Amino acid sequence: MLELRSVTKEFGRTVAVNDLSITCEECEFLVIFGPAGAGKTTTLRMIAGVLEPTRGEVYFRGQSLKGVPPEHRNMSMVFEYYALYSHLSVFENLAFPLKARGDSGAEIRRLVKEMAGILQISELLDRRPGFLSGGQRQRVALGRALIRDADVYLLDEPISHLDAKLRHQMRAELKAMCAEKDATVIHVTHDSREAMALSDRVAVINKGKLMQIGAPDEVFHRPANEFVAGFLGEPPMSFVDVEYAEDDGRAVFLITGTDARLPASLEVSASVRERGLPSSFRLGARATEVSAALSRNETHNVPGEAFVTETLGHRNILTAKLGKDLVQVVTPPELAFNVRDTVWLDLSQDNVHVFADGLAVAHPGRQGD
Amino acid sequence: MASVTLENVWKKYGNVEAVRGVSLNAANKEFMAFLGPSGCGKSSTMRMIAGLEEITSGNIYFDGELMIKVRPRDRNVAMAFETYALYPTLNVYENLAFPLRSSKRSGVDVDKRVREIAGILEITDLLDRKPTNLSSGQQQLVGLGRALSREPRVFLLDEPISHLDTRQRVRMRAYIKRLHIELGYTMIYVTHNQEEAMALADRVAVMNEGLLSQVGTPEEIFHNPTDTFVAGFVGEPPMNFLECEYRRENGRHLLDHKGTTMEMPSHGEALAQRGAIPPRVTLGIRPFYIDIGLEKSARHVIPAEVFVVEPLGDMTVATVTLLGARLQIVTELGFRARPKQTVWLAFDPTRTLLFDAETGRALTYEA
Repeated sequence: MLELRSVTKEFGRTVAVNDLSITCEECEFLVIFGPAGAGKTTTLRMIAGVLEPTRGEVYFRGQSLKGVPPEHRNMSMVFEYYALYSHLSVFENLAFPLKARGDSGAEIRRLVKEMAGILQISELLDRRPGFLSGGQRQRVALGRALIRDADVYLLDEPISHLDAKLRHQMRAELKAMCAEKDATVIHVTHDSREAMALSDRVAVINKGKLMQIGAPDEVFHRPANEFVAGFLGEPPMSFVDVEYAEDDGRAVFLITGTDARLPASLEVSASVRERGLPSSFRLGARATEVSAALSRNETHNVPGEAFVTETLGHRNILTAKLGKDLVQVVTPPELAFNVRDTVWLDLSQDNVHVFADGLAVAHPGRQGD
Repeated sequence: MASVTLENVWKKYGNVEAVRGVSLNAANKEFMAFLGPSGCGKSSTMRMIAGLEEITSGNIYFDGELMIKVRPRDRNVAMAFETYALYPTLNVYENLAFPLRSSKRSGVDVDKRVREIAGILEITDLLDRKPTNLSSGQQQLVGLGRALSREPRVFLLDEPISHLDTRQRVRMRAYIKRLHIELGYTMIYVTHNQEEAMALADRVAVMNEGLLSQVGTPEEIFHNPTDTFVAGFVGEPPMNFLECEYRRENGRHLLDHKGTTMEMPSHGEALAQRGAIPPRVTLGIRPFYIDIGLEKSARHVIPAEVFVVEPLGDMTVATVTLLGARLQIVTELGFRARPKQTVWLAFDPTRTLLFDAETGRALTYEA
């Protein structure tokens, strides 16, 4: 429905967005996810028509939007920095888009009341934006964008300034509201959980380039490269340098700086046969997918050293040294490790990702089938 | 290193009471986090410990020695803020040594200290390098080492890693904690991030509106909060609260939420026997301790309607509606349900807390 075709945006010599092609389907909730400076906001502003691409074009329902001014694109945008009408009350800010399309007074009051209830700002309707906290202003801006019907809603970090409690509530409200309206949404965030929670598909971008696009489950469990693997997920994925060897014709990984060896999967040996040996192999382990034990057993047979344990209440995070790398493992709160204890990890091809020169060559078996 | 004691400390800016009678004790070599939302008074309290702010009333002691009249530079505290900017012309060794030399320590000590810090941070190989030849991750470690290379009586850190992205922040957290374990500093660490406070501190001091709400270990703060503020601020996703009415029927003690009878928490029966439950109470339960079932069962007896389901990869969060109240539940990874579908909830009674609805005070709190 909305399509970016090889879009590039340069500011002087800086390439903010680099040959980006993304399609957003009708009624889809698409999240653009990446670190600060990835080009997320620039992309959104080109879709809105506030910025023109240096090269490439944006298409809407098959028509190029080149030269179409923002006010002629039926899109509703929330900027990260609100841009509320400071001389109008919260009620009038929310009512503004409805008045502009000529709704009756009664209809406006009904819609504003409903939206204010969802966003928990009902008691603020008489106030001016200057008398609101950052989190309250952000909710007013979100309400003003969502209250009207638009072909596409463009949301730039719309809930990033809320405290944890409200952010969780608003994330759920936003998801429910957009599903209810069958809205087409493009939502920009740097928050991994927000990207996972909200999106039908997530487009991960870094340095202006598309790293991967797919359903959140797909991107989480089958990341295409180390960047996506390491940036999506909390606590972040740990990486371990390994060397590849063949032992009696069987492929193994030697963990650099230790005696530990791990059988490598068939996908890995196939990749080596096909493409030759890469200059680096790394294992990627998610903290929730590996586990640690105080003594060696059949599955926990890779030795590491406890570096530090963090207590988070419902669970702990153990950081263990494995060779020269640090690996984080979520452990139950009752399992206590002391600094410098030997810990045994259950790394295996069933729970680690394998990257060759930064690109994924194998994912954990149980997700692959 | 020294212990730090605050005795009924107040800070007023004109009519604004930023800190209202805070008393606490951080033991020698303890890592204490000051946790609270913006404006709770945590930074003002830290600045009074440093001597950068005058105390309106109350006392501050280091190892029992009154500090109020002692000038900031004579208190021998070290403060670290979020900047880790390194001196670009100096190599890593000199960057680490700089704060030590400026505090007039002997040359032998400086060398020993630099090598000790570099050893813990595993940057010994980098000592000869200039900052421009380091990766950003290495630069952060050197910055951390420099911030913590001195040996003052007390270290004060104000949101030192809040500017980093998640990946870098989680990694730096592990190094800060390890440095504290190895070097035995007295540390006071200000943050608004509950996970950071829980992960790092021996004890967390939770502040709200200038008042100290609770001081306790991360486990105490999480499982045994003093009031609804602490209970709601610590833990993510946040604790769920349900307004309930308490009544007795045929000698049984019951909690009703809008006419639906909820299971009495394990602590509740004993409280009820003592007559300690007021007519209006708030039931608190964390998203981790509600079990969700697609069918009614002996355990799953509370009906609710699915609002949204959020699969997050490492966990799935279901938001459900229970008679108008929204509850968040951390479910199994593979849990899926349609909006408006009926589901059945089971609360873990050993993890359910009770609060006085009027005051917010936890009835279940055990000192």
